[in-house]
Amino acid sequence: MRFLPIWRSTDPAAKQPGRIVSRLQSWSASRELFLLDLAYLAVITPLLLLLKAPMLLFLLLVLVLLLAGKKGSTATLLLVAMTGLLAVFFSIYGAFNFAGLSRLKLFVELILYLLLLAVSLQRLTRTINFYLLISPVLLLALSLFFFDSIAMLGYVVFEVFVLLWLMLAHRTGADPLFSLRITGMLFALSLPWVVLLFFFFPRISFEHASYGFRGDDITRTGHDGTMRMDSAALLVPSERIVMEVGFQGTIPADGQLYFRGSVLYRDKKDHWEPLPSYVRRAFIPAQNAQRGMYGSAQQVTAYKVSLYPTHKQWLYLLDLPLEAPEGATINADFETTLKKPIEEPQRYDAGSALVYRYGGRTERTVLYYALDVNRSAHPRSAKAADTLAAANPDPEQRLGALLRFFRDQNLTYSLRPEPLDLNHTADSFLFDKRKGYCVHFAGAFVTFSRLAGLPARVVTGYKADRKNSVNNYLAVKERDAHAWAEVYAGGRWQRVETTATASFIDNESAELLRQTGTLEDNSDRLTRLNLYLLYVKYQVETWVLQYSHFRQMRLLEKIKTNPLFAAKLAAAFALLVLASAALFLWLRRPRCGNRLLCLLRPLLTRLQRSGFVREEGETLHTFFTRYLAAHPGSALADVDRLYHRQQYGRNEEDAVQFKKAIRAFLREKPAKGSSDAH
Amino acid sequence: MNETIAPEFLPLVDAVEAHLLGKRHAITLTLAAFFAGGHVLLEDIPGVGKTTLAKTFANVMGLDFGRIQFTGDLLPSDILGVSYFDQESGKFVLKKGPIFTQFLLADEINRSMPKTQSALLEAMEEHHVTIDGKSHDLKEPFFVIATQNPHEEVGTFALPHSQLDRFLCSFGIGYPDKEAEREVLLGGGSRAGAAVPLIDAAAVRGTMEAVQNVHLSPMLLDYLQSLIAYTRDSGRFVYGLSTRGALAMAAMTRAWAHLHGRDYALPDDVQAVAGEVCLHRLAFKEGVTTLSRLRHELFSHVSADA
Repeated sequence: MRFLPIWRSTDPAAKQPGRIVSRLQSWSASRELFLLDLAYLAVITPLLLLLKAPMLLFLLLVLVLLLAGKKGSTATLLLVAMTGLLAVFFSIYGAFNFAGLSRLKLFVELILYLLLLAVSLQRLTRTINFYLLISPVLLLALSLFFFDSIAMLGYVVFEVFVLLWLMLAHRTGADPLFSLRITGMLFALSLPWVVLLFFFFPRISFEHASYGFRGDDITRTGHDGTMRMDSAALLVPSERIVMEVGFQGTIPADGQLYFRGSVLYRDKKDHWEPLPSYVRRAFIPAQNAQRGMYGSAQQVTAYKVSLYPTHKQWLYLLDLPLEAPEGATINADFETTLKKPIEEPQRYDAGSALVYRYGGRTERTVLYYALDVNRSAHPRSAKAADTLAAANPDPEQRLGALLRFFRDQNLTYSLRPEPLDLNHTADSFLFDKRKGYCVHFAGAFVTFSRLAGLPARVVTGYKADRKNSVNNYLAVKERDAHAWAEVYAGGRWQRVETTATASFIDNESAELLRQTGTLEDNSDRLTRLNLYLLYVKYQVETWVLQYSHFRQMRLLEKIKTNPLFAAKLAAAFALLVLASAALFLWLRRPRCGNRLLCLLRPLLTRLQRSGFVREEGETLHTFFTRYLAAHPGSALADVDRLYHRQQYGRNEEDAVQFKKAIRAFLREKPAKGSSDAH
Repeated sequence: MNETIAPEFLPLVDAVEAHLLGKRHAITLTLAAFFAGGHVLLEDIPGVGKTTLAKTFANVMGLDFGRIQFTGDLLPSDILGVSYFDQESGKFVLKKGPIFTQFLLADEINRSMPKTQSALLEAMEEHHVTIDGKSHDLKEPFFVIATQNPHEEVGTFALPHSQLDRFLCSFGIGYPDKEAEREVLLGGGSRAGAAVPLIDAAAVRGTMEAVQNVHLSPMLLDYLQSLIAYTRDSGRFVYGLSTRGALAMAAMTRAWAHLHGRDYALPDDVQAVAGEVCLHRLAFKEGVTTLSRLRHELFSHVSADA
């Protein structure tokens, strides 16, 4: 914009040589400023997302001053400096005290503000100095403290490219397109090195300093720690992803993908609750999985979870988690919780035993709560339960009988059941309505089991579906929220999939499930593609953004022990080197200014290979004639004629025949000096 | 040269060659310069057939032939003619000089004084002469072959650069090769019958027009301009090629292309004539300027079709 007046100028005085020279000088100076402004545009754009309003206003002020073409006088600069300091003060007011300075993020934020202030002041003077030149790079480096999303990864690559390009354009003074090509070549050359460095230098984690781009941290629901029995519990099955799981080996069978959330004991008529906190506090110390609960170390499934912000405290781990991720605790019921609600994406490694046996040391208090039931609220169930209990004194057999009883009730699975009578939920569900979804099945079963004298509790969480998986990647959606029962029989807690006792599924629910793709194999291509995209996103997050020292160690270990993997890795790297070399050469290819000469190129290469070299200063016609003298009857004669007719002749003939002639020549046997080239 | 001359011009070349054995290239160049409307400077030692070429050529083309032997005491009026007072008619009458012809052989042009040389050069450029303030047109076509002895000889006035530029091209005839010379020794050249005109004025005019219409494609102009730019920018020559020199190159290229039966020019045409067009215009800063060196210098540094 600033250049326009120079070209538009109609001032006759400007045509004097002296004036023109000075104008040209001023143009070359403003060209540098223009390049610098482009660099700022590239690096500041993402920062705008995290700057506070006063700072944004300050930058707007600077922009207005620049566009107005105001020359930075001392007074102006002083004013701007004062405004900037005020903006910085208001930006961090309240969030900032001296203790806060020790927090990296705040500290970096302060530095960022001060840097922006300094850059603005220097830019207003319209003179370029060294500090101004390196400031875009500083800003880029600072912004890396705040963002670690995939979008930012892509943007950083873009930024580096743009900065390199502008730097080349600035240093060489060449035209932008040429610099762009050179930049591309440099990029291609550096690609293998970048990958190597990526592997050798793991990412430094700034304790989830991520603000992320907007939209990344939408609150996820699905499981919320209680279990509502009224119809408000389940709205529309949502496709939203709650967490993404990457398994180290293959994904376990469908029936084993229970992600444990909370354990509920207390029937509050319209909902179920966990044990009150004063009771739970008695269960210290927090329990970890012990040997004997599971078979051997080989049976442990290792996986990595990326959990989106839920604003709840639960971390979801597969039944039965062996060890709490860092910062989390596992209690006696194997609920894994953090101290604070999850406001930022969580990534944790975990190990679980899918085949397990536990409960031997369950405290009596727990069993007491697990047997607590109001018999008068469920008279018909109590009667049936008593009969069952009397017939099956052995707890294991009694559990089997309970399940049989449920199956015989001809219950229907329905996502839109009629509301139950909340004062007599078990009776209402088992004998009257006989319709419900997982919540109703689990609630009724636990109640019924307690009536029959078996300690039982409700477990809620997610039951993942292998249909939402690619390779070893599994997406868990809100729709997968589930409730099941755990029954204490035979000295251990046994998981009971209560929903499996349903005999029917009503048409409406079947339709609903089909639409959202749970019931049948979902062959909808879009969904599949979406899943693949999620998979790629997950892999990038794991291997690029979250590539930690630990991951590096594990990778090196794997390379050492697994030669095939090492070979694959080496091959992939070699492929990358080749690809980048090819890209480099492609960018470096000689420019083909003339279409006909371009068409001729393979032919010339062929001639050269067969030992026919064009001499210095030789015209193509002479060259071709020389070849034809040695190889009479070659199709080169046609090529020669057509080429010269089109290149130098008056008429534009179509190139089809020319191409044909070239192909005809290329089909000829490569002649090695002999004259039988037919 | 690989290319063959177009059938319509073949008899012309053959006829001249019958008298000047083995000098086909020189003959074709002369023909090209003629059709391009320029003049030729023959530069060689005496006795290699310069005069024979000129005479035979004039005969074959059916042109009036005039000849001026330049000597140290030759005056402009000896070339242009004088007007004298005719007492019978009481008027000034012009006595036309030998320049009033169609084909002029200016033999040993560098033997005369610059003043005399320039009288000829005006006529060559403007196709008219001025005698006593009155302009007289020359017959068309007007074609000059000037011959020049090597500078080193005693009693020569070197033509200044600006005047050399008026000649379209310059070349030597050179010694004949062994076989041709043997035939000459056996009397082959003189055995040929007297040359007779093989082309009429209308055909000459037609050909000249056709030459001007030969197409120079953008690619060819690129090549031409690169060559010209090289003479100017490489720093190898004392002066670069003038714009007149560039025009000469284009004109000769066109004529050469037409002689070889094409209405468009190829880089080969440029290469065939470029050396001869530049020989009297360019001088290497270091070393001797010869045709072969010049050609090699130009063609190896500026490549065609690239």
